Amino acid sequence: MDNDAGSSSLSRRQLLRMIGITAGNAAMYQAMSSLGFAAESPYRGPIDLQGTPPGASVLILGAGMAGMSAAYELRNAGYQVQVLEFNGRPGGRNWSLRGGDSYTELGGFTQRCQFDQDLYINPGPWRIPYHHRGMLHYCKTLGVPLEAFVQVNYNAYLHSSQGFGGKPQRYREVKADYQGHVAELLAKATRQNALDASVSKEDREKLLESLRNWGALDRNFAYVASGSSADRRGYKKKPGGGLTGRPIPSEPVALSELLDSRLWSDIAAGDSYDWQSALMQPVGGMGRVGEAFGRELGPLIRYNARVVDIRQDIHGVTASYEDTGKPGSRVTARADWCLCTIPLPILAQIPMNVGPAMAAAIAAVPYASAVKVGLQFKRRFWEEDEHIYGGITYTDLPIANIGYPSSGYHSPGKGVLLGAYIWGVHAMEFTSMTPDERVQKAVDYGNQIHPQYRAEFDNGVAVAWHRAPFAMGCYGMWSSDTRARHYDDLCQIDQRILLAGEHASFIGGWQEGAVTSALDAVQRLHQRVLAQGSKA
Amino acid sequence: MKPQFDRPMMRRVAVLLLGAGVCAGAAALACADDASFASVATLSNASGEDIYSRICQGCHMPHGEGAVGAGHYPKLAGSITLASWQYVALTVLAGRNGMPAFSAAADQVWDGPTVHLSDAQVADVVNYVRSHFGNSYKDRVTASQVAMLPHPAIAAAP
Repeated sequence: MDNDAGSSSLSRRQLLRMIGITAGNAAMYQAMSSLGFAAESPYRGPIDLQGTPPGASVLILGAGMAGMSAAYELRNAGYQVQVLEFNGRPGGRNWSLRGGDSYTELGGFTQRCQFDQDLYINPGPWRIPYHHRGMLHYCKTLGVPLEAFVQVNYNAYLHSSQGFGGKPQRYREVKADYQGHVAELLAKATRQNALDASVSKEDREKLLESLRNWGALDRNFAYVASGSSADRRGYKKKPGGGLTGRPIPSEPVALSELLDSRLWSDIAAGDSYDWQSALMQPVGGMGRVGEAFGRELGPLIRYNARVVDIRQDIHGVTASYEDTGKPGSRVTARADWCLCTIPLPILAQIPMNVGPAMAAAIAAVPYASAVKVGLQFKRRFWEEDEHIYGGITYTDLPIANIGYPSSGYHSPGKGVLLGAYIWGVHAMEFTSMTPDERVQKAVDYGNQIHPQYRAEFDNGVAVAWHRAPFAMGCYGMWSSDTRARHYDDLCQIDQRILLAGEHASFIGGWQEGAVTSALDAVQRLHQRVLAQGSKA
Repeated sequence: MKPQFDRPMMRRVAVLLLGAGVCAGAAALACADDASFASVATLSNASGEDIYSRICQGCHMPHGEGAVGAGHYPKLAGSITLASWQYVALTVLAGRNGMPAFSAAADQVWDGPTVHLSDAQVADVVNYVRSHFGNSYKDRVTASQVAMLPHPAIAAAP
């Protein structure tokens, strides 16, 4: 990309550098985003912190992915590290709910997860794309085994309550038909010379050939029931062996019905960079990563510690906290430096003497509403009856998604699926319900897609992130405006305090954002420590 | 790259213009068949009570009692803070800390759609909390009074 020095035009990188110099990083990022290559994780491999002064200490607030990856690196670099964590477990939003677990949300509603052994849901993150190299590095380092997470399943459904009479359609059919019809139209326009202004004579034939290939068109460039369209959308009668095996192609759906249904809006989901295959999940639940970090850091983490005050002076930082097992108690922890990963809605309420710029940034970021519901059924009917192995069904019902487990295929006995994964106003409405109501709603809506729900439903759990006592929301929502005004101030070191977490990243809501934010922070902190030398 | 918590399907999140009575696209029918989702999503005049019980109580709780965890959601029940209707209305309009700005157009809160309340709805919900949960402030707020308060962003129709 930088090799076009001989060209008279600026390379993209040169252009971006100029934008960065003249208009600042936020503007550069905007330009990078629009050019489409800022989204990659900035992870560049394990970091190497050398020359830590003896006795240098860092107090870390929060034992989520950011806090624990920072603690791991700083400890390895020779710092004295102490981590304070509100929950009685490591991980933060990295978390799996398993049978026997108990969870009390804000408002006092307690749920006891009644899933069978080895069954779980991940209330928070549930997948790791192949390019989230920071997360993958720590999974590897900590010995957390991974398995495939099925994102795109051609046999899962797209569902619209108004299209196709409310009957769910297989992703395979919708994708094939949409692609086939579009290819046919484009081929028609090409052959009628409607595209001559844009397509050269030499490219015309190549384009037509590619459209036939891409859309599974017949020799006349028509998308019709045929061997080639059946090869994409499936068969009315599947090919098989012997005398009964002669296939019959299926009939494509008309374009107008497809367009009316709006099911096309989810066709490209798996094409998004974040969701492109391969994706992975830890064997046994996403929470295995947090648990492994917790084991690794052992006594460095102080659990059940609710931070109530953070105070810095010229020599160091003191955090006061309540041992939640002893309400009203006050304990203090002190270190030379403080890396704070507490979610912003909580941090905004904790007295902390940082400058006005960081304080304004902390208060400027509203948190997203999100809800997940895990449902246990008496059998894995989605596999047995509908041949759906992993993947996601998308629906315009308020439950938005049904996620099928990517492991344990054909297990006898019960199965757990993600019965709802909800954002926006519907998440707020689900949040406003009791956990039991949320589960009931998820069953009622899901029953419109899988009529087996009513008979097979066993039990469920529902997590609404605004009711999570340790997070008070799902993740930080930055607009381009707040990003431009506050992001750098949020990330700068304020004397002896600096912040990390998904909220201090451009990979918001993803664990990779937390990890890369933490690595960026500890490297800057280390430079500051070295620069201060013995004064640290 | 859109900031996303494990990347939701933004195309599936309804843009809800509560004041305009628009329940965008496919979601309109989805919520129309369920009374529990109809009130906020489809009524042009969703009442203050509807808005409170469908949206606000997620955090402030069914009886305005608030909640305490690592941080807290302020209690609205019997709260003297509510004596100033302007304070309450400004909080709904502009948000506070993790609470989103409910007056802002979708793209001004975030790159994805969220909830937008009209000035009339802000007035309704302010009146509701100031006359319930043990609060009995007599003065009623109107949409035009709310309109005169600073809005954090001009809500352009998306």
